[in-house]
Amino acid sequence: MTNPKADLLQGTLDMLILKALSLGPLHGYGVIQRLRTMSDNMLHVEQGALYPALYRIELKGWVSGKWGENETGRRAKFYKLTKAGQRQLKIEEESWDRLALVVAKMREAT
Amino acid sequence: MEFLNILIARFRALLRRDKVLNEIDEEMKAHIELEADANRERGMTPEEARRSAMESFGNVGSIRDLAYDVKGGGFLETLWQDVRYCGRMLLKHPSFTLIIVLTLALGIGANTAIFSIVNAVLLRPFPYQSPEQLVMIGEGAAGASVSYPNFADWKDDRNIFSSTSAVRGNENFNLTGAGEPERLQGRLVSAGFLSVLGVSPALGRDFLVEDDRPGVTPTTIISYGLWSRRFASDQGVIGKQITLNNQSFTVIGVAPRGFEFEQPADVSVPIGLSADRFKARGSDPGIRVVARMKSGVALQEAQTQLNVIYQRLEQEYPKSNTGRRAYLTSLQESFVGDVRQPLLILLGSVGLVLLIACANVANLLLVRASTRRREISVRVALGASRWRIIRQLLTESIMLSLIGALLGMLVAYWGTSLVANQLPAEIPRLSQANIDSRVLTFTIGVSLVTGLLFGLAPAIQSSRLNLTDCLKEGDRGASGSRQYLRSALVVCEVALTLTLLVGAGLLVQSFRKVLQVDPGFNARSLLTMQVSVNNPDGNQVASFFRQLQENVTRIPGVTAFGISNGLPLGVANHPTFFIQGRPLPEPGQETGAVRYTVSPGYFEAMGIQLKRGRVFTSQDTPETPLVMVIDEALAQYFQNEDPIGKQISQSRDGSPKYEIVGVVGHVEQNNLESQGVRTPQFYLAFNQIPPDRLPGYVRRINLLSRTNVDPSSLTSAVRDQIAALNKDQAVFNVRTMEEIVGQSVAPRRFSMMLLSVFALCALALASIGIYGVMSYAVAQRTREIGLRMTLGAQRGNVLRLVIGDGMKLTLAGVLLGVVAALALTRTIKSLLFGVSATDPVTFISIAFLLLLVALLACWVPARRATKVDPMIALRYE
Repeated sequence: MTNPKADLLQGTLDMLILKALSLGPLHGYGVIQRLRTMSDNMLHVEQGALYPALYRIELKGWVSGKWGENETGRRAKFYKLTKAGQRQLKIEEESWDRLALVVAKMREAT
Repeated sequence: MEFLNILIARFRALLRRDKVLNEIDEEMKAHIELEADANRERGMTPEEARRSAMESFGNVGSIRDLAYDVKGGGFLETLWQDVRYCGRMLLKHPSFTLIIVLTLALGIGANTAIFSIVNAVLLRPFPYQSPEQLVMIGEGAAGASVSYPNFADWKDDRNIFSSTSAVRGNENFNLTGAGEPERLQGRLVSAGFLSVLGVSPALGRDFLVEDDRPGVTPTTIISYGLWSRRFASDQGVIGKQITLNNQSFTVIGVAPRGFEFEQPADVSVPIGLSADRFKARGSDPGIRVVARMKSGVALQEAQTQLNVIYQRLEQEYPKSNTGRRAYLTSLQESFVGDVRQPLLILLGSVGLVLLIACANVANLLLVRASTRRREISVRVALGASRWRIIRQLLTESIMLSLIGALLGMLVAYWGTSLVANQLPAEIPRLSQANIDSRVLTFTIGVSLVTGLLFGLAPAIQSSRLNLTDCLKEGDRGASGSRQYLRSALVVCEVALTLTLLVGAGLLVQSFRKVLQVDPGFNARSLLTMQVSVNNPDGNQVASFFRQLQENVTRIPGVTAFGISNGLPLGVANHPTFFIQGRPLPEPGQETGAVRYTVSPGYFEAMGIQLKRGRVFTSQDTPETPLVMVIDEALAQYFQNEDPIGKQISQSRDGSPKYEIVGVVGHVEQNNLESQGVRTPQFYLAFNQIPPDRLPGYVRRINLLSRTNVDPSSLTSAVRDQIAALNKDQAVFNVRTMEEIVGQSVAPRRFSMMLLSVFALCALALASIGIYGVMSYAVAQRTREIGLRMTLGAQRGNVLRLVIGDGMKLTLAGVLLGVVAALALTRTIKSLLFGVSATDPVTFISIAFLLLLVALLACWVPARRATKVDPMIALRYE
């Protein structure tokens, strides 16, 4: 996987963002940081590409955004997982697990 | 709630683009600065930290666009994309777009025009308070007149009606005094006329009971039009005196602007002032009555209650009231009952035309869809969903229909006045036909439905394509089901067209039949006009007419001159008659006849044939025995006896008696459509009216001049003769008899013309449709035809093949159409005259006409097919 972001399917990114936010509200930059930490620096998302995805799931009602200030006093928009977002995350994780299982089984078979 | 939030967000994004973009910018800026902060902490210089943050963020501009698309995205943004895309596509094929838009503009425009008339005449509520409580009352039949004394007996019965008023329109008033003398149309009403309708005067007050009785100071309410025209909208007009028919009236009120009730009237006058005129309890002269039912009382209930009173009246006045009952009609029914059906039929027909237009546009789109298959398959290959494709194509068709509707509004704006001008002016509120919010809603609704109707089938078709087939096959994919769909559309088009053509054909036939009716008089070269003489001196009146008769007959070109109180093809009096020497009929069983009072010259002027005996002469005077001329229909009452010399009276007690001196031909009185039902007619001698009663007869009298030149060229000569005798004498309603005949058939002519125009439009559209389908089929089968020709098929065979296919479609359409027409022409039965709704001649000739036109439409593509060069056709891969 030389270029993970090219293969990062839209749905996957959505799931990752939801996952990142499941640990607590974050601003966009924070989401990027958390994705990095969570993936042990193996996942590099083009930072800007986060926003269209973030807005899309905001419109779907999975996260809600609110302007606020961070600890250093910078203004930023903080996103929080909604109830619907939590449900969605569960659904996506389950289907991802199923897929991973299927792929693993098929690889073992060959 | 969530859906609403999304929608709000999207609207916000679309409408407040700058604000949304600002927000995105701000968020991205914050992001970059946070990264820069972190970089600085890691020890970079501020510039380095910033540059590195920008780099790792990526392309700010494109991310911004992407983010905005998401925010404004979804429905509206896609819609906007689609609209822009469609706009480009439509502009790229201007002739295609133009044809479709024009077809739709005409179709939608015609529908809007007819609907705006239907809206004004039928749908808009009457401008009175709670119009649903208002009823018109008739005695003996719905819509008939009421006798004034009967009305007086129940008008104050508050158990049934909360208020009532008598109305008698078409009264003439000569306005003299300041300025030009003017003849005004007026109405007689009783006290509280405006309050019955719940209308308040623009100025002044309504009539009170004190104004509505004989011998009080005459008062009048003038129309808003007269007030602004004659009195320059002077606020001080109340209390002024005006002279009407040589009598002074005090103006007490001005009717509100645009106020209408049945016939137009510039002045209203209390009927009680002339109560003497209406004292007979018979039906002549009658009044009309408008009443407001008490709230919560149903029409049927009110009628039953009123008839309890009529049963009492029957016992009290058996002579006049035996068998007489009241009939209530809602105001709506009374005003527009006659025009409802023709208008709805026209609305239905114009709707059919739009359906045919839709079928044609759908066909065009199907043709184009086949040339667009590549484009669509590429879109599908790039990941567009089927729904997405359908949506985009529907956006396109709805856009087309909306543009069509926009242009159609122009067509309607112009068409409404065109159509309204053709319509008989008596139709109430016709002048108010305009494009209001209801019409607008209708048009937008129609165009959306239209867009879906013609767009749905092609869109679904196009989206259902097999990707690999399409990309391989290129532009020439022969899709069986698509051709099937197009054929089905043509069959429907032909069927609808046949229906419309048959309807129009039946109306044309009826119109011809009506014009062929012998009216019993000669309408050619006959000039008519009316005068209203206001002179209380009967001898002067008599000499005025004697002198006029002499002077007019001396005008070169005038061959005969007559005077009459009524003209054929109009409203007439129907008094009862009693043949002397026969048992009197039971009360209520009397027969009525149309009565004319005419001068000796009338019969010659009108061209009415004398069958037996003589007509009036100048020797018939008030001093000589009373004479009468009867028509053939009345003569039949004498069976085998000779009516000449017999006597007839107009009253039950037999006085006065008139001796029959002559029998003349029957004249069509109400209209040309009596279909052999002939009401008897009799004529009294104008010259025998005693001088004291003469002034009452000449309030409105017709002068007829038969000419041997163009009758209208003598108008001024006749007017000059009248002015020479009395320069203040107003002359009005100058018409030739042919114009009167024309006016009497105007409603019929109108429906016939309009339906014919619609049917011809349908025919044109259908033939274009057939032509289009056949041309396309030929183009698709070029290779097959080439092959057949290589294998020895003659041109004739090819011609037969193509035409045969086209005619099969047409024939199917014709058969379907005949069935539809048989079902639908029944709805226009009441508009037909002298022809049956299933008239085989019309059906067969229309079917042949349609087949002929279809043959021509197939002929052109068939010829093209025979020109196919086999070599080229076979290489055509």
